[in-house]
Amino acid sequence: MDEANPANPPPNWIQQHTVYQELMRLEVGDSVQVHAAFLVYMDLTEVRKWKDVVGVSCPELQAVLLEGREKEGESVQMIYPLPSHRSIKHRELRSILDRGSPMLLCAVASDSTLVYQRLCDGFLTPDPPVDIQDQGRRQHRKRRLQT
Amino acid sequence: MDGDPAVMKVPRSSSVEVKEDMDTKSEKQATRDALIDISFCGSTPMLWKVSDMKKCRSEGVIGALVGSLARQPRQNVRLGRPLELRPEEALLLLEKEKSTAAVRLDTQQDCEDEEAHSEAVRLYEAGLESSYQEQCVLALEDKKKTLNRVMNEKENGTEGSGSAVRERLEALDQSFSFPWSAMAVQLCTARSGFSHCPEERSFHSTDCPMPRDEHLNTRFSVYRDLRNKGYYLTSAGKFGGDFLVYPGDPLRFHAHYIALCVSLDEEMPVCDILAIARLGSNVKKTVLLCSPQEGDVVYSSLQWSSMV
Repeated sequence: MDEANPANPPPNWIQQHTVYQELMRLEVGDSVQVHAAFLVYMDLTEVRKWKDVVGVSCPELQAVLLEGREKEGESVQMIYPLPSHRSIKHRELRSILDRGSPMLLCAVASDSTLVYQRLCDGFLTPDPPVDIQDQGRRQHRKRRLQT
Repeated sequence: MDGDPAVMKVPRSSSVEVKEDMDTKSEKQATRDALIDISFCGSTPMLWKVSDMKKCRSEGVIGALVGSLARQPRQNVRLGRPLELRPEEALLLLEKEKSTAAVRLDTQQDCEDEEAHSEAVRLYEAGLESSYQEQCVLALEDKKKTLNRVMNEKENGTEGSGSAVRERLEALDQSFSFPWSAMAVQLCTARSGFSHCPEERSFHSTDCPMPRDEHLNTRFSVYRDLRNKGYYLTSAGKFGGDFLVYPGDPLRFHAHYIALCVSLDEEMPVCDILAIARLGSNVKKTVLLCSPQEGDVVYSSLQWSSMV
């Protein structure tokens, strides 16, 4: 029925979404970023079932940030949604990191695919490589196979 | 091959140099041994001596071997001397020289060695003198031998002229003079190993030809800071970063971090960050954004969140 009536298309559900309208009301003046923030909001709340997700205006970055908890009772994380064709400065990332809460950078591609990168202050030691971690156990496994 | 005064200023002969080294060994050994000679090929800092490479390694500076092995020239898996240093590494060695006097570029090698230099000149002149004495004796013997031969020939022939020769031979011990200009002087132009005499050294290192631009300064402050924190660094060309950061000697540890040196206000495309963060997670390394800030360096770790 929609296709039959192109002159009068149905309104965009995103623009009518209350959260989108709330985010727009934060008036950061960057509608592309707000759109990205809304997509991230939907991903966090609908797909990942995060709790207490709210939009926060960040005047320094002229951007909408999201705050939320991965599970109930966990600490609040800060999410910085960003269209993936943009550029970013380390100083901007620092201005969020210096607030002290764990931070995720979420890149939103034009096809609305998302990827979350974790950012934290200072040195974060990576997991040890598998071959080192398992050396002892692997020998066990071999022995078990032989017997 | 002449006694011209100009000869006095040419490089010392190796035997004299050895003497000089022996003389001043006790006082000089300590400082000179602690220095690392950095040679430049264009603007690339290189180390050639094994001893320098060892010292450099003990400072925690890794570098990269770039020379071909003499017996295996047609492969590039295992390489030999020289050791190429990255500009940051050379700068760090140079900077450390200020604080610990452990390392020095060959530029200022002999500007403060005024005393040693005049001592070397004195020794050279003494060497020249003794060489002259030696040659005097030899020349006298030679002359005597010739006169004897002539005299014998004459005695076998006519009588009269033989006595004249005999007289000359007897007078020779008193009258013989060996002119300075007839003295043979050896100029040693070949040398063994990579030791340079000071003149040559100053010629080779007229200036430190490393260009310093903004990015190198950024990289250097990061390199110095990480090195001071005890990390070991190698180049991270194959990971698309600036440095690979090891918690200990690279021969014994996996790298923990891929360091990206950016100034705080440098624009980084988000897709580049995604690419390197994803690469980092694949190789189990944390991507480290490093930016100098007011004499300090701030670090931010970047890891894939593993939220699929």
